[in-house]
Amino acid sequence: MITAERKPFAEIKASIAPYKRILVVGCGTCVAECAAGGEKEVALLASQLRLDADHEGRTVDIKEITLDRQCVYEFIDQLFPLVDEYDAILSLGCGAGVQAVAEVLPKIHIVPALNTTGISETREQGVWLEDCRGCGDCKLDLFADVCPITRCAKGLFNGPCGGSKGGHCEVDPDAPCAWHLIVTRLEETGRLKSMDEIQPPANWARAQGKGPRKCVREDQKTS
Amino acid sequence: MIANRSEAHVAVFFCRQLDPEQDANRRSLEKELGSGIRFFPMPCSGRIEALHLLKALETGARKVYLITCPQGACRYGQGNVRARKRLDYAKSLIREIGLSDDCFEMIVAQGPLPLSIGDLARELLGRTADEPDSSKEKQAGTNPAAYLAK
Repeated sequence: MITAERKPFAEIKASIAPYKRILVVGCGTCVAECAAGGEKEVALLASQLRLDADHEGRTVDIKEITLDRQCVYEFIDQLFPLVDEYDAILSLGCGAGVQAVAEVLPKIHIVPALNTTGISETREQGVWLEDCRGCGDCKLDLFADVCPITRCAKGLFNGPCGGSKGGHCEVDPDAPCAWHLIVTRLEETGRLKSMDEIQPPANWARAQGKGPRKCVREDQKTS
Repeated sequence: MIANRSEAHVAVFFCRQLDPEQDANRRSLEKELGSGIRFFPMPCSGRIEALHLLKALETGARKVYLITCPQGACRYGQGNVRARKRLDYAKSLIREIGLSDDCFEMIVAQGPLPLSIGDLARELLGRTADEPDSSKEKQAGTNPAAYLAK
């Protein structure tokens, strides 16, 4: 899923300073799962904004709504009946959600309240670990299902670097060494011999070399 | 401005495992102090959310207490540990907007259980009456506990 973290309150407050009527819009999918932009987080931020305005003697009109998905136009349509009543939308969606809302509603300022941090797995309750950079050329099969681009601080395709200590990365001692994990898993699955092969560099042309990537499925299109 | 303010100046969230007679005990205090105090019994203090605490402030409370079981006495194991983390998070949200986090206070019940939530709340109100006003209370011009003690 996409993970995100809420921006500092001061940054959000500065972004919406010119506006008095604010529609706070959450997303009930990825960012709800990582406790950054779901219904509960929308209510918390709205509550903070109201308390802050009250503390400073200002008047604000804040409405809360959480869409099932902020990156799908059919869900964004729910904002149409509301949008004329507000000066700005404060979005607790990921970067894709913010841009999708802006695409559908071009005449209102969409202010992002989150910093999108990556594609992650839920490692444990309250802990999300980034493990995919969306490079567009997945080689996980070669690396025992541990992505060296994301999880090795040096992004090595031909590791290990030799700097790990006790199975931990020398760059971030709190993080496990990705190559330690790769070698261990290859060993456990009887594939250690694949370490003898030299892997060519990643094909970054499939990443972002030509601007934003687009997935098209003709069989899914309606026109 | 915040709408729908209630008269409650003190909100008390508490684990109802503390007091099997909580219904009668809190109601007698509510009757005595009127709408100046509101109790929120919970099946476990671990059910508290930062949003509950902020909403209490939004609706007019100037002091919010969270009363938990003694350490190691939570019948669900980690409830009071989680309650502490949620309260700390709520405090961080309050500090972000420049308010004093004194408005939230966690009270870990001491001594043998059960206790009377009414007696404990009375003790807390007495203690709060002696404390200096927090910045928010000063703005409001009255210390809620002092108000209640009248």
